[in-house]
Amino acid sequence: MSLIIDSVSKRFGDVQALEGISLEIKPGEVFGFLGANGAGKTTAMRLVLDILRPDSGTITWNGTLNSEAPRDTWGYLPEERGLYAKMNVLDQLVFFAKLHGVKPKDAVRETREWLERFRIPEYADRRAEQLSKGNQQKIQFIAAILHDPQVLLMDEPFSGLDPVNVALLKEAFLEMKDRGKTLVFSTHQMETVEELCQAIAILDRGRVVVGGAVRDVRRSTGRQVVRLAVDGDPEVTWLDTLDGVRVSRRGQDYTEAEVAPGHDPELVLQEALRRGCRVLHFEIADPSLEEIFIEHVGQIDTSERTLAPKAVHA
Amino acid sequence: MNGWRTLFPNAWYIAIREYRGRVRSRSFVIGTVILAVLAFAAMQAPILIDAVAGGSQAKVEVVVRASSLPADAQTVLDQVLNGTPAPGSNQHKSFDLTWLTSDQLSAAQKDLERGKFAALLIVDRDASSRDLVFTLRTDLPADGRPAQLIGNAVTSLAIEDRLVRAGTSTAAVLAPTRWEVLPVNSSAAAPVNSLNQEISSSLLSTGLLVLIFMAIITYGTWVATSVAEEKSSRVMELMLNATTPLQMLAGKVIGNGAAGLTQYGVIIGALFVGLVAQGPLHRAALGGSDSGMAISGLTVPLLASFMVLFALGFLLYSLLYAALGSLVSRQEDVQSATSPLMMIVMVGYFMSVFAVQAITETWVVILSFVPFFSPYLMLVRVAGGHVQPWEFGLAVVLMLVSIALALFLAARIYSAGVLLYGQRVGLRQVLKMARVSR
Repeated sequence: MSLIIDSVSKRFGDVQALEGISLEIKPGEVFGFLGANGAGKTTAMRLVLDILRPDSGTITWNGTLNSEAPRDTWGYLPEERGLYAKMNVLDQLVFFAKLHGVKPKDAVRETREWLERFRIPEYADRRAEQLSKGNQQKIQFIAAILHDPQVLLMDEPFSGLDPVNVALLKEAFLEMKDRGKTLVFSTHQMETVEELCQAIAILDRGRVVVGGAVRDVRRSTGRQVVRLAVDGDPEVTWLDTLDGVRVSRRGQDYTEAEVAPGHDPELVLQEALRRGCRVLHFEIADPSLEEIFIEHVGQIDTSERTLAPKAVHA
Repeated sequence: MNGWRTLFPNAWYIAIREYRGRVRSRSFVIGTVILAVLAFAAMQAPILIDAVAGGSQAKVEVVVRASSLPADAQTVLDQVLNGTPAPGSNQHKSFDLTWLTSDQLSAAQKDLERGKFAALLIVDRDASSRDLVFTLRTDLPADGRPAQLIGNAVTSLAIEDRLVRAGTSTAAVLAPTRWEVLPVNSSAAAPVNSLNQEISSSLLSTGLLVLIFMAIITYGTWVATSVAEEKSSRVMELMLNATTPLQMLAGKVIGNGAAGLTQYGVIIGALFVGLVAQGPLHRAALGGSDSGMAISGLTVPLLASFMVLFALGFLLYSLLYAALGSLVSRQEDVQSATSPLMMIVMVGYFMSVFAVQAITETWVVILSFVPFFSPYLMLVRVAGGHVQPWEFGLAVVLMLVSIALALFLAARIYSAGVLLYGQRVGLRQVLKMARVSR
């Protein structure tokens, strides 16, 4: 009873877009795809949607092959937003819903409810081209969910949105989660992932480098992080001399250090007390997703190994 | 490719959306209005022709100095110059003759110099031979048509004059000659076409050819543009999740085809209104009764064949237009991507223009069965009346088969092409991709 991607590979010409990725996404879960540009996130989603077919491997939803599953199983929010520029908002949302078999009357009612919730009810009769990018994004979200899909796949849903709209969209996400939908989205924004996701997969060059429940992923390195602040010694220079400890960041409020696997972070506190320091702050934590991402993928580079469409402006 | 079962209602929804979007667009409205006005104006062409022809009437003054001219000399000249009028008709006269007596010669000469007349014809009688002698004073070219016609006319008059002097009665001289025109094959029952009918039927087939040609190019390009537009605006990805390529193809072809037919309907309406208005307008503009231009040769079988060939031709070409449209990422590239297809359309059209004059040639007969050219060449052959029913049936079957093939091919190219962005893609590459994806 879940979305299972089993050893799926996909090649475009010379580029191996996905290389034997396997994932299990549980029903009702919020799942995040992380990865640099060109890592294969968009390809993975298109494969799930059966817009593309894998070269090998299978994708099943609740035991049914994705190509056999009804099309209205899926709701899709593509990375490149697309609406009919000259068509008014209500008409095109009803059009998309009708294609999925929704009755026009229900589609109109649902659309008006969602426009109300997104605080843009007056845009129902505007042409799409008259809307701001953020508002078009909301329309796109409505288009993805009007037919009440079981699984919602969203490619970079938060990109290009201001904080208010991000908050509105997150709210809508959680609402869909409460309705028992399975949510899969890709993003660069680690804070959002830590806030919303139960499980993630980090993709790099077509492979899953690490995946699973967020907590497990954060613990997967075996490393731990200590944050320490002592009175009168903001640099805490002795920290680097400890075996298995490496300072990763010196901040105003505290100094952060990584403790290698097999070493006890408690030793840092003991050393501080041994040196007679007055400890103002001591904290043991798991590495953040961002650190893990950088560790696996390297710096979040912006150079593109792009297979997904580049924006084309006509 | 499990699209057949589920082609509708989605293809229908897409068609309706396409139709509405197209018909409400500014370019459609403006284009339709302009074409309708042109169609109406074209129907008024006979008025223009009559007006121009009326202006070219040659005014000739005839001064008779000869004695005892045959009694019906005026009738003879008039008939030879202007032809025998059909009973009851008010036909246009190329020559307007003014008959004067010898004492009016100097006044006539002055009128001629002042340009009131185009020519002055002086009729004398030779004192010794007693034959009529004619002098034409004019600045019209001596070897031009008017001068030659006047030459013919005065020759007739001179011959009549000699016969009358020899004692033959005028009535006997002018009795009409019996002659008739028969078809080459004497057993053929068909009447010989009049020149008007001939011209009308070749005009008709040319007109129908232009209709098909314009429809395929214009409305085919609409289909390609609408595909490219969906691709460039990225709506395509939403559509792909909601529908199948086959549904999209069918919807686009039907929707744009219906919009095209709407435009044609308006134009044909304007033509009809123009035809009806022609008579009254003619009377108002030029006075007198109108000559009227009936469309002869437009038979029910021809019209039916036209509609069948029109529909099949549009289907075949627009499917291919859709496939090519799916290969480009931007609307600006539609033109260049569809140019190979445009070439085929043009070649077919130009061949058909030549074929109108050569309906029975072997190459016309053979090529009229090639599906890409059938809409043109088979139509020309039908209009010319040289087609057996089985030949038409065969062409239709071949077109249906090629439409099925085009649908299959287009759906493949389309499903691969719509997700390709940025790069210009070769057809071979796309077909390869089509095989590995769905």
